[in-house]
Formats: sequence, C-alpha cells, structure tokens
Amino acid sequence: MDFTTMSAGRLADAVNKGELEARDTVEKILGKIEAVNSKLNIFSSMAGENALEQAAAIDNKIKNGICLPLAGVPLVIKDDLIYKALPTSFGSQLFKAFIAPFSATVVEKMAAAGAVIIGKTNIDNMGIGSTTLNSPLGPTLNPCDTARVAGSAGAAALKSDICSLALESDSGGASRHGASNCGVFGLLPSAGMVSRHGLSMHCGSFGRVGIAARFMEDLPVAFKIISGYDSRDTATAAFNNQNKSREKDDNISALTIGFPEAVFNLLDQTHLNIFLKLIEKIKEAGLKVTEVDLNHLPEAVRAYQVIASAEASSTLSRFDGIRFGAAVEADELEELYCKTRRATFGIETIRRSVFGTYLLSKGGHDRYYRKALQVWKMVREEFRRGYEKCDLLLMPAVGMLPPLAEDRLSFIDLYENDLFTAPVSMGGNPVLTLPAGNIEGLPVGVQLVAPYMNDQFLLSTALRLDPLMATNHQVFSEGGK
Amino acid sequence: MEYEVVIGLEVHVELLTESKLFCSCPNRFASEPNVNTCPGCLGFPGVLPQLNEAAVKKALSAALALQCEIALFSYFDRKNYFYPDLSKGYQISQFHVPIGSKGYLDIEDDRGVSKRVRIGRVHMEEDAGKLIHGPAGDVSLVDYNRAGVPLIEVVTEPDLRSPGEARRYLEKLKGILQYARVSDCKMEEGSLRCDANISLRPLGSKTLGSKTELKNMNSFKAVEKSLEYEIKRQKKILNNNQEVVSQTLRWEENSQKTLVMRGKLQAHDYRCFVDPELTPIELTAAEVEAARKVLPEMAEARALRFVTTFDLPGYDAALLTVSRSLADYFEDCLQYYNNPKKISNWIMGELTAKLNTAGIEADCCKFKPQYMAELLQLLDDDLISGHLAKEILDQSFLNGKSPRQIMDEENLTQITDQSALEAIIRRTIEAHPDSVEKYRDGKTKVLGFLVGQVMKETTGKANPKLVNEMLIEMLGN
Repeated sequence: MDFTTMSAGRLADAVNKGELEARDTVEKILGKIEAVNSKLNIFSSMAGENALEQAAAIDNKIKNGICLPLAGVPLVIKDDLIYKALPTSFGSQLFKAFIAPFSATVVEKMAAAGAVIIGKTNIDNMGIGSTTLNSPLGPTLNPCDTARVAGSAGAAALKSDICSLALESDSGGASRHGASNCGVFGLLPSAGMVSRHGLSMHCGSFGRVGIAARFMEDLPVAFKIISGYDSRDTATAAFNNQNKSREKDDNISALTIGFPEAVFNLLDQTHLNIFLKLIEKIKEAGLKVTEVDLNHLPEAVRAYQVIASAEASSTLSRFDGIRFGAAVEADELEELYCKTRRATFGIETIRRSVFGTYLLSKGGHDRYYRKALQVWKMVREEFRRGYEKCDLLLMPAVGMLPPLAEDRLSFIDLYENDLFTAPVSMGGNPVLTLPAGNIEGLPVGVQLVAPYMNDQFLLSTALRLDPLMATNHQVFSEGGK
Repeated sequence: MEYEVVIGLEVHVELLTESKLFCSCPNRFASEPNVNTCPGCLGFPGVLPQLNEAAVKKALSAALALQCEIALFSYFDRKNYFYPDLSKGYQISQFHVPIGSKGYLDIEDDRGVSKRVRIGRVHMEEDAGKLIHGPAGDVSLVDYNRAGVPLIEVVTEPDLRSPGEARRYLEKLKGILQYARVSDCKMEEGSLRCDANISLRPLGSKTLGSKTELKNMNSFKAVEKSLEYEIKRQKKILNNNQEVVSQTLRWEENSQKTLVMRGKLQAHDYRCFVDPELTPIELTAAEVEAARKVLPEMAEARALRFVTTFDLPGYDAALLTVSRSLADYFEDCLQYYNNPKKISNWIMGELTAKLNTAGIEADCCKFKPQYMAELLQLLDDDLISGHLAKEILDQSFLNGKSPRQIMDEENLTQITDQSALEAIIRRTIEAHPDSVEKYRDGKTKVLGFLVGQVMKETTGKANPKLVNEMLIEMLGN
C-alpha cells in the first residue's frame, strides 16, 4: 500500500485497521525526502529519526486498541508555527536553532490526532510574503516547474508526495498562492475558527492558520481537528457563536455562485479563460451564476498592505535580542537592537517595519493608516452585499504565473500579486483554494469564498463541486466520509 | 508678581488581582527575579494576550468609585517604544477610549473649604518590568516579574492649586481605591506611583503657562516637596522674565532637587493604534449597575454608619474609617466583643500609635481583632489591670501570641488574693506613716499615692480596685 495514492483519511483507516504501519509510511518518506528537498528547498528543519519515533508511538497506540482520526498521516508544518520538538526559525537566519518552550495549539491537536510531523517548511522571513523569495534559505521551487517558486513550501511538499497534509499560515495569500501554484487543495477557515496560539504573526488582524491537502476530502477531516475554541486565542470565542452557519444544501443546483465582475478588467487573457471555463462548467452542472460588485479590489490590496505593514512594525518589535533567541553582541543597547534586528530581519521585513513606523506616526496615521481602516470597512461591506446575491463567491486565486526563482520582481509587483487574496483576508471569510486548470503545465487555482463562519457549508458544497471543477488532478471525492 | 500654581496629577495604581493583565502569571511581588513570568509576558512570538476579567472588574470599580462615566465599549491600544523592560516593544494601554472618564473627587483646599478635583480619565494598562543596574555600572539586568501586572492610570484635570492640595488629593484617592478594594496603594512598594504636571501663571490669567513634568517621587511627602521646589524654581525663572522650558524632571530624594530627565525634543511619538490581537471590552448597562451596587461602602458612609449603629462619637467614627483596614479591624473586633466604644478607645488610644510607629496597616497587624476582644474580656473579668493590658498588647503586637497565653506565660495575672495583698498593704502603711496621718486628718487624696505604692510593690499586678477597697478598710482600723 502506498500512501501517495491514498487520501489522509484512507491512510488513517488503514493504519487504524492494522493494514499498514505508520512507520512504513514514514520510512518511505524518509527514503526520498533528501532528494526532494535538495531539488526544491522545502524544509527549514526535518524531523528525521524523531518522525520514526512518533510513528512507532502511534503504531503502539493502535496495537493497544486506540483509534486516531489521522493515525500515521504525514504532516509538514510551516515554520512560523511553533513545535517544541523542532527549531522554529520564523524564516530568520538568527533563529535557525531556536527551540520555543511550547507548541502551537494546532500542532498539538494534529499530533494528538495521530499525525506524524515530518518537518518544518521554509517560509518568508517573519512570514512576510507569498513567494518564499524573502527566505534566508532561498525560495522553495515549484514541483511543476523548478524555474518558478512554489509560493508555499507546504504545497510543494504535498505535490511532491512527501506528506498528506500541511499546516499553513496566511495573512495576505501565502497559503492560497501555494495551493494555486502547486495544484493542491487549501482551506483557510473563518477568522476565529482556529486557534492562532503558537503562530508567530506579523499582522494579527489578518493572520490565520490554514490547512492544505492533496485531496479535497481531507480538508473537512482536518478542519474538524484544528478548529475550536482555545482560551489562548480570544478570537476563537467566535467559534462558539457560529449558529448562523448553513450546514449544507442537498439541492446543489439551487445554489448561486457569484463572481466579481472586475475579473474582466483585472485578469490577463490566459487566466481569464481558465476562470470563465470554470464558470461555464458550473453553469452546465445546473448552478446559477451571477456577477457581483467587488469594485475595490485594487484599493483593498493597498489598504491591506498599509495595515499589515503598520502592524508588522509594532508586532515584530519584540525581536530585540533581549529575552529569546540569539542576539548579536554589542557594547551599547542601541547597537544591540540595531545589530540583532538587522541579523534577524530580511530586507522586506525591514522595509515594512520602516514603512509601518511611518504609517503609524504623526505624519502617516491620519493620511494613510486611518484611510486604510476605512477601506477595510468598505471591503467587508462589499462582501456582505455580494452575499445578498449569491451563496458562494468564486474568485481567481492569482493573476499571474508564479514568479521565476531568479526573477527580480519589484516588491510592489509582489504586493499587487495579492490582488485577489488579500481582500478575502480582510473579510475574514472562510476560503477554499481549488485547482481550476493550468497554463504552460503550471496549475492555476481559484478561491471559493463563503460568508463568514459558513465553513461547514463551504466544505460540504465544495465536496460536490470538486468533481465538476477537476481538471488536472485525480478525484477521490466520491469516497469521502 | 503673584502667581497661581496649576497642578495636575497622573497616578498609576497596581490592581489587586491574582494574575497579570494578559496572562495567568501570578500578580505577586517576588524577590527572585523572573519567577513570575511566562512566554506571554516575556513577549515571545506566537503568544496572544488573554484579557484578565478580574482586572476589568477592578478597573470598573475604581472608575465608579471615582464617579466616572463608564465606556460600555472600550478597547486596548498599543503604545510603541523600545526599552529593555518592555517585553513586546509596546505597552498595551487604553489610549483612545478609557474605561472611565469625567469623574471627580472632593478635597479640602488650603483654607479648609471643600473643592472638587475633576478626573479626566481612568484607564487600564500593563506594567513594565524593572531594570537592575550592576554596582559597577557595567551590566544591566531585567526582571520581568512586574511585566504585565495590571494597572489603572488616574489622570486629573489641572485643578490642583498647591502642593498641599496635591497631597490631600493623593490621600483621598488612596483611601477610595483601598475602600473599593482596587489596590493596596502602597507607594513605598510601588503599587501607587505619581507623576505631577506643574505650571505657574500670573494670578487672574486664564491661559496655562508652560509646564514641567515631575517623576520619581516615592512618597506623598516627596510629591509635596518636589512641587514646592518646582514652584520656587519656576517663580525664579518667571521673575527673571525667562520662559520655563517644557520638560520632564526627575526628583532626587537625596539632594531634594529636580533634575532634567528629557526635553521636549526627545518626546516620543508612541504611534498608538488599536491592538489587533485583543477583542474590545463590551459592558452592558446592567453589568455597570451591578458593579455600582456591590461597590464597597466608602469612608464617609461607613463613618456615618458607625455613629448610627454603634453609637460612636463622630470623632471616633472619623478616625476609625481613615483607612479601610482600620475600619475592618474595628468591625472584626465587634464580632468577638460587643462594646463598640471600648474597642474604639483601645484602637485609638493604643493600637493606632503602634501601627503608625511600625508603619504598617491594621490588616498586617499581629495583634489580631480576636486578641483585642480577648484582652478586653480579660480586663472585664478583672484578671488583668489596665496597666497589664497595655503590657500584654505591647508583647502581642510584637510576637503575635494571644493575650491569654502571654498572661499565663509571663505570669501577668492580677493579684486578687486578699491574703497576699494584705501583707503588702500592711507593709506600705507602715512605710508611710506621714501619708497615713494625712489621710486620717481627712486628706483622702493621699489614698491614690498609697494605692500607687502598692501597685509598684506588686509590679502592677495587684487589682487596683481591690487595693483601693482594702486600703480604705485597713486605714479605717
């Protein structure tokens, strides 16, 4: 039995039934992980022997009659999520050996569910970016075209068959770019659904934990495990108030899918063709389709950038070399701050810290920061009005091919690449990234966005929509549990 | 020229909670550095703040006790600056919307006339850690035990007109916050800290002069002294037709002077913005009313109750209610002994003097209310004299033993055995024939002297009443 042909759910089934040992899967992965990693640059740290120990412990539990929902499922974790058994680098050279004294809630939940942690995946410095081009280790390459970036190392790991699930983080679109670029499935649950305790965020307003999988049917299982109230993240109080959520609609053809009219202006022809083809397929399946007014996507992504930079300048102040991690030696306090922070941060983080400091200071606050907050409010309102006309929103995930690893795109170009993802972050909506087609052999995904807190509805609908949308990937949804 | 003094105070008060404002670390003084810390209050990445509900309740009580309007919707902001004792690089504080605003407190001005001091705002915030500098000045260490301890800041409008008013305001504020069980307000332990803004203006002028901010005063007296010093300094400058430089000054207790800490140009831009990691504080009108109802009785109301319920003189009631702990002490005594006036006499006569000398509050006193009751009972039962009672109180105050135990151990029982006293009285009569003669001549005043002599002989242990009776009888023979 080979885990690469199985969904995480089926793999766990086999392990729970004793048909397969967790250790077997991990050994297979360890057998090829080095080769994959040297080709794609996926990991910032690998569990190695420790993964085998985790697997053996799970096999032991199964032998003692314990049943685990993710028994033996190989998992990778983005390196801004803290796991105390491995270093957490936050994408910083200075933190490559940093071991935090606790683990993120989601990591603990996944481990308790029987998942085996294979390693920590490469991230942009401080989690800032959607490309890994800001990583001190260099970018993670796309398994579908190694000249280009993957966007998310977790997605690259999934596409390379060295894990079944990936824990992701996403503020402006990182996890969705990754899923789109690599042709895997990603879920970013509603803000407040999943605890962010143990996630180092540069931007608390938009930072969220996500999950990615090779199979659509694994997302509801993983969602159930990672979601829930956690007193250590007060935003999860929202989890207890989700009475508004629709469960599912049996009559799928009664649903209306909306899409932003703006795509006609904002997408290039190749991306637009893929998007419109998908719309046609949805119509053919009997669903209604309608255009909605999301007219401020460009303004939204710029407001996102202002708010995210402002927050980063404050939130990342804690990296001062005094209490945790390594510090650069210095004679004076000021010098200690400067040297340590320069060694901790990459150029993009420094740029945002400087920019953000200005945006919050007397000159910038009223002129930019407050305006950005107003745009944020306006964007939420546009989404709310959009859902008066439809049940779910379909949006592009990306408007361009993944950047070339050797590309020297300007930071502004990279900011603008979040055009379709950052506005969704601002709404706090649950969003699925699904493969929709490909351009020059490179996968392109779409975002299926539900009203806030309608995560269950989104998942159950997507399970039935997935076969319709499938283009270049295998479909296992009919076997879903 | 005649000047008017304009003073405003900013007071930081530590809240009496079990845990810190945003994590579950104990809010407790510890001599060992960094024992009351966790990744949260140390500012580790990946840890989110969790608001302590008890702290919000304390802050609400404080705002209500200070007659504030309560914001039903308030939130926390970040005040950004780098300093090693600030673990996150920002302080979480209520900058834009304080939980309480537009309150007031009444004090007496220098002529003894009641005046109202407006309180602009009462807001919540977290404390920072402490820097400890090495003796050689070559090393600085940080203790984060205090980082994240819940504080409220109480800010007055510029309504105070003299250092004396400032002191009386602080005393009144301390009393109210203690009564409301918000804080223990111990300035010497840092649970109450005060900064003062002061400016002078020509008498009659409506515009404010340029002000200086005074910091580092560690007692109410230091606040008063530093203000007096600063008035003199500013007067001198103004009288020379110069301008007072707007700056922050540091009070130096040793030299009794203010020194420049930082000028206006070094003033921070704190870049305040709403903390995105915390949800707003939402209170309902019903919750605020409920908090108002359970607000503990304040000093004036309590004094009035002492007069009406316990039939105490107003003077006694006022003295007993000066501090909440003393009034509590009094009421605790009543649980064990039912003579309010007698308790009051002993508290005012003996106990308060001892508390003042020792510099402690009644709740920290080893001579517990039960002991006061026991002591008064021993007196009632004629087992000890008043003189012995004072001696027992002295000892109990120091060693915390019960009055009965002290009486037994130290053999301080009153001599009530007539036969034992008879020999002593006889000896006294024989030793003072002159006095005896005077007495028999009708100068009965001399009896007191003779009683005193007997008491002296018995080292105060004789029952004075009995000695009195026996002397009269024996002298009559």
